[in-house]
Amino acid sequence: MAFEPKEPQKKLKYKELRIYSDEELNNYTEEELKDFKCKHDIPDLDELEKGPWPSFVADAKREALHRRKLAEDRMMVGRDVVEDLMGILQLSFDHGETHWKHGGIVGVFGYGGGVIGRYSDVPEQFPSIVHFHTLRVNQPNSKFYNTDYLRTLCDLWEYRGSGMLNMHGSTGDIIFLGTTTEQLEPVFYELGHVLQQDLGGSGSNLRTPSCCLGKARCEWSCIDTQDMCYELTHFYQDELHRPAFPYKFKFKFDGCPNGCVASIARADMSFIGTWKDNIRIDQEAVQAYIGGELKPNAGAHSGRDWGKFDIQKEVINLCPTKCMWMEDGKLMIDNKECVRCMHCINVMPRALRPGSDTGCSILCGGKAPILEGAQMSMLTIPFMKCEPPYDNIKDVVDKIWDWWMEEGRNRERLGELIQRHGVPKFLEILDIPPMPQMVTEPRSNPYIFWKEEDVEGGWKRSIEDYRARHKR
Amino acid sequence: MEEIKKAILDFAEGSKKTKFYFSDIAKAVHKILPDAKSREIKKAATALINEEKLIYFSLGSTTMYGLKGRGITEDH
Ligand code: HEM
Ligand code: HEM
Ligand code: SF4
Ligand code: SF4
Repeated sequence: MAFEPKEPQKKLKYKELRIYSDEELNNYTEEELKDFKCKHDIPDLDELEKGPWPSFVADAKREALHRRKLAEDRMMVGRDVVEDLMGILQLSFDHGETHWKHGGIVGVFGYGGGVIGRYSDVPEQFPSIVHFHTLRVNQPNSKFYNTDYLRTLCDLWEYRGSGMLNMHGSTGDIIFLGTTTEQLEPVFYELGHVLQQDLGGSGSNLRTPSCCLGKARCEWSCIDTQDMCYELTHFYQDELHRPAFPYKFKFKFDGCPNGCVASIARADMSFIGTWKDNIRIDQEAVQAYIGGELKPNAGAHSGRDWGKFDIQKEVINLCPTKCMWMEDGKLMIDNKECVRCMHCINVMPRALRPGSDTGCSILCGGKAPILEGAQMSMLTIPFMKCEPPYDNIKDVVDKIWDWWMEEGRNRERLGELIQRHGVPKFLEILDIPPMPQMVTEPRSNPYIFWKEEDVEGGWKRSIEDYRARHKR
Repeated sequence: MEEIKKAILDFAEGSKKTKFYFSDIAKAVHKILPDAKSREIKKAATALINEEKLIYFSLGSTTMYGLKGRGITEDH
């Protein structure tokens, strides 16, 4: 489906948007970098550079040196911000506690989210980062952008912020790390009016929705994740920017159960592409895998010799529901037992494809907080068609929010509300019946209680009759 | 919707404060319209903003609502 923008798209003239020349960007040598010494003593940060992993400290030092050599009028916030940032981090290591104060009253006009206020509690020692606010920038869907766009963002942030950014935060946003209060509105203006790039969510609101590559790049995508994400982001703008929820709320869209944005583990509402009909099998390609002409996993594990591909051992025996077998040289699947784990499809992508009657499963209540413990989202609606403008999906969202906004306690995530009230209450709100797919072990699940009208014959029984067969 | 909008404006105009948290507004509306749903109240508040009767005043991690023309406004 062709992309239909919700608002006229400007053609960006990147050449005119650039702030720095190539000389300004490449203004130091590797020799100078070797000799670079931060103005604060930072032994523990230096230590972080020594391990086998790339360290943010190495990047920060480059940026610090770069800023030392930029002309004074080429930066709207302090030259020393990166060095002071390293200094305050060292101080936190020394003290074993943070020197950032959480929150604080900052924002951009009209938005209740997108800016996270940060103030330091050691202003004398690190004067350039007394206020050092973070901005969340709504990432393009699937994180698709070109280098011109990235350079423009980086220039903007070098000029009006610390130059440091995080690609990407866990929710997906592009995180601009550190600027002063005065620079917030100018950055917001440049992003919104010039680059047509919105801020993301923060606080008790809808957080920046995110999606996998979807149909743009991935043959496995059962739903147009980018379109859904775009539509719902626009439809729920008010929820994204003006917090009135009990706490944060996340949507994530995975095109298939491989779950590349890990929606099941990280979203209050996870939309995962799936299919209702049968896995499509190309028996010739199955033979080509068996014969070795096609490499399993599209060659992904070819760095090592794993021996000859063995379909029995590597696919059939690993099917979690044991619903595959070979019969007269043909691969057979008992599709009603298939749990769409994607394993067989991942191993033999040329031979097996998801079915063609596609839609999404909706799972609710996932969260990944550090303190209270993570939980995966629960399968709530096994299958729903996903066609623009997704009114059926929006209906579900609205019912859930109505309930959560009424009943949710302050800082209670949807998953916790479901736990507190029980799954049956949640299903009542959504007006859907309990289903075995909602739990791994339906018969031992303590959360499903029957109501009298659901049970044939109701609750009434003769206790004498019962006692006749069962002694006390 | 119109009833909720009226309740919000009555509350805002009758209050000494110039800025209100959403929860204050919701509480005030519930006093008059006990059955109003929070999300309906939110939608009504948004409609009042679109009609330029209320303004948003954002604090970075939360949003406050204010009467247009009273207290801190867009110009500050
Ligand atoms: C400076 C640090 C890192 C850089 C620059 C980096 C860069 C990349 C790039 C360019 C890709 C390929 C993306 C694509 O082709 O679509 C990738 C993929 C990936 N990275 Fe990283 N990465 C970094 C650190 C890590 C770390 C620390 C982990 C995990 C602990 C990780 C896990 C992955 C995974 C799982 C993939 C996908 C592999 C696949 O599906 O083929 N990366 N990374
Ligand atoms: C930097 C870390 C990692 C990288 C770069 C990485 C990369 C990959 C790649 C490229 C594949 C093949 C995907 C495909 O062909 O479909 C794969 C498959 C897989 N990875 Fe990882 N992986 C990483 C960490 C992990 C970890 C920590 C786990 C488990 C705890 C894990 C479990 C798996 C499994 C089970 C598969 C097989 C999926 C299937 O074929 O059905 N990986 N990984
Ligand atoms: S979640 Fe599925 S459809 Fe989306 S990119 Fe990953 S494998 Fe492809
Ligand atoms: S997707 Fe998973 S459950 Fe379904 S047939 Fe393949 S391996 Fe078995």
